[in-house]
Amino acid sequence: MTAIDVRGLRKSHQGFEAVKGISFEVAEGEIFALLGRNGAGKTTTVEVLAGFQRADAGTVRVLGLDPWADRAAVRGRTGVMLQEAGFFPDLTVAQTIDTWRDFTSAPRPRDEALELAGLTAKAGTRVRQLSGGEKRRLDLALALLGRPDLLFLDEPTAGMDPEARAATWAVVRDLARQGTTILLTTHYLDEAQRLASRLAIMDAGRVVAGGDMAETLAAHAGKVSFRMPAHIPPGDLPLPVTVEHGRAVCRAEDPDLAAQTLLTWAAARGLRLEGLEVRPATLEDLFMESATLTTAATESTEQPR
Amino acid sequence: MSLAATYRLGTRLFWSDRVNLFASVITPVGLTIGIPTLLRQVTPADNAVHVFQGLLALVLSITAFMSVTVTLTARRDRLVLKRLRASELTDWQILTGQIAGAATQSIVIVLLCTVAVRLTAGIPLPAHPVAFIVATLAGSAAMALLGAAFTALVPRAELASVYTMPVFMICTAATGGMGPIPLPGRLQAALDLLPTSAAVHAIRTGELIVPLLGIAAWTALGLVALRLWFRWEPRRS
Repeated sequence: MTAIDVRGLRKSHQGFEAVKGISFEVAEGEIFALLGRNGAGKTTTVEVLAGFQRADAGTVRVLGLDPWADRAAVRGRTGVMLQEAGFFPDLTVAQTIDTWRDFTSAPRPRDEALELAGLTAKAGTRVRQLSGGEKRRLDLALALLGRPDLLFLDEPTAGMDPEARAATWAVVRDLARQGTTILLTTHYLDEAQRLASRLAIMDAGRVVAGGDMAETLAAHAGKVSFRMPAHIPPGDLPLPVTVEHGRAVCRAEDPDLAAQTLLTWAAARGLRLEGLEVRPATLEDLFMESATLTTAATESTEQPR
Repeated sequence: MSLAATYRLGTRLFWSDRVNLFASVITPVGLTIGIPTLLRQVTPADNAVHVFQGLLALVLSITAFMSVTVTLTARRDRLVLKRLRASELTDWQILTGQIAGAATQSIVIVLLCTVAVRLTAGIPLPAHPVAFIVATLAGSAAMALLGAAFTALVPRAELASVYTMPVFMICTAATGGMGPIPLPGRLQAALDLLPTSAAVHAIRTGELIVPLLGIAAWTALGLVALRLWFRWEPRRS
C-alpha cells in the first residue's frame, strides 16, 4: 500500500516557485528521507503533505486522502513534528501534554508520551525553561500522542545532544517496526542514512536523486585515500587517482578491491601507503555530487543571453 | 469535546497571564467602576448612570475585542496557532474556543462592574434586565469575533495594542463613556451603528430588535472577514 503519493507537485510563494513539479511515493511502514539544502523545497513539500498549504498543481494523496480538502480526516491518522512552532511558554511539559491529550481522540497516556520522548524528568518544568533539544523532544511527544499511522518529522533532531539524538532514532526505528510510516527531512545525512530505507534528494525545487537507500549508495563510488608517497608520480599508481591536499584519492565502485590492488602494488615496491582510508560511498558524497551538479546546471541555464 | 478543550485552555491561559490581566481586566474594571464613582461625587446621578452605561462599550472593546486580537496575533506570530492546527482540532474549534473564552470574560466583567457601581456609586441595577443580559451576551460575542477578524490587519504581534487602541477609543466615545463629547450629527449617527453602541443602546432603552439586527450584521461581517483574511501564520516577508 502507498502511504504518500505525490505526482507533479508544484507550489509557489509570492511568485517564487519553491517546488517545481516533484513526484515520489512512500510505501506504508517505510522510513523515507527527504533531503536537500536550505531552500531546496523540503519544508514546503512537507507543509503541503501535512495540509498546511494547498498545492498549486499536481496531485497529493496522503493515506489515500487529499490532505488539504480532507485535513480533518488526515489529521486523525497523522502526527506532525513541525520544523518550528511555538508552545505556551508558561505551561509545564506535563500540562502541555495534558492539553494536547484533550485535543486528541485516543491519546497515549501522559506518562507513556513523556517516556517515549525522554522527558519524564522534565515533566514539571515550564516550557520556557527547556533547551532547544528538549523542545524538539516535546514536539515529538505531541506528534506521537495520537498513535499516528503516518508521521511527518521535519528536522526532528535539530539542536539535540548526541544522546538525545540516539534516543530519538531508537524511538523512530521502533515506531517504524510497529508499522508507522515516517517521512523525515533532515540536514544530518548520517541520520538519514541510519534511519531511512528510501530517499529523495531535492535541490532548487526538484528531486535530483532518489530511490532505495542501499541501491543508491551502492551505485556510487567509494573512496580509497592515502598520503601520496614522495617521489612517485601519480601516473605510476596502478589505479587512476586525483591528488587533493597531498592525499591521493581513488574512487572505485568496490573500494575494498581497489585498496587491495594498491597495497599489493605498494608491497611489491617496498612502499608504505601511509594514512590509508577505505570508505564506501556515503550519503554525503552522493548529496554533494547531486547538489553540485544541479547548481552547475542551473547556473549555466540562468546565464544572461 | 475538543471545543470545550480549546475553551478551557483559552480561559486558563487568560487568567494565568499577569500582563494580560492588567490590560484586559484591571484597566477596564478600574475605569468602569472608578469613573462613575468619581462622577457621582460631582454631578447628578443621571449623568453618572449615562457614563457608566457608556463605559460598558469600553469593557466590550477591551476585554472582548482587544484581548482576542492581542492573544491571537501573539499566538500566530509565535507559531502556536500553527502547532494547534497540527493537532486534530479544526480551525473553527481553535477560533471558537478562543472567541467564546474572551466573550465569557467580558460578560463576567460587565456583570461585576454593574454590581460594583451599585455599591460604590449607588447606580441602580439595569432597568431592563432582559435587554441588559441579551445585549451583554450578544455584544461580547460579536466583539470577540470581530477581535479575531481584526488580527488580519495587524502586521506584527507587538503592534496589536496600538492597532486596537483607536477601536476602543472610538467605541467608548461613541456611547458617551468618555463624558459628553459634542459630535457632529452625521458622525454620531455613523458611530451609533457600531456593535458596542447597539449593545449600550439596548441596555439604556430596553429596545432589542434593532440593536440585535445591527450586532447580527457585524457578526456576519466578522465571519466573512475571518473566512477570507484570517492568517494562521506570520507573514514570511
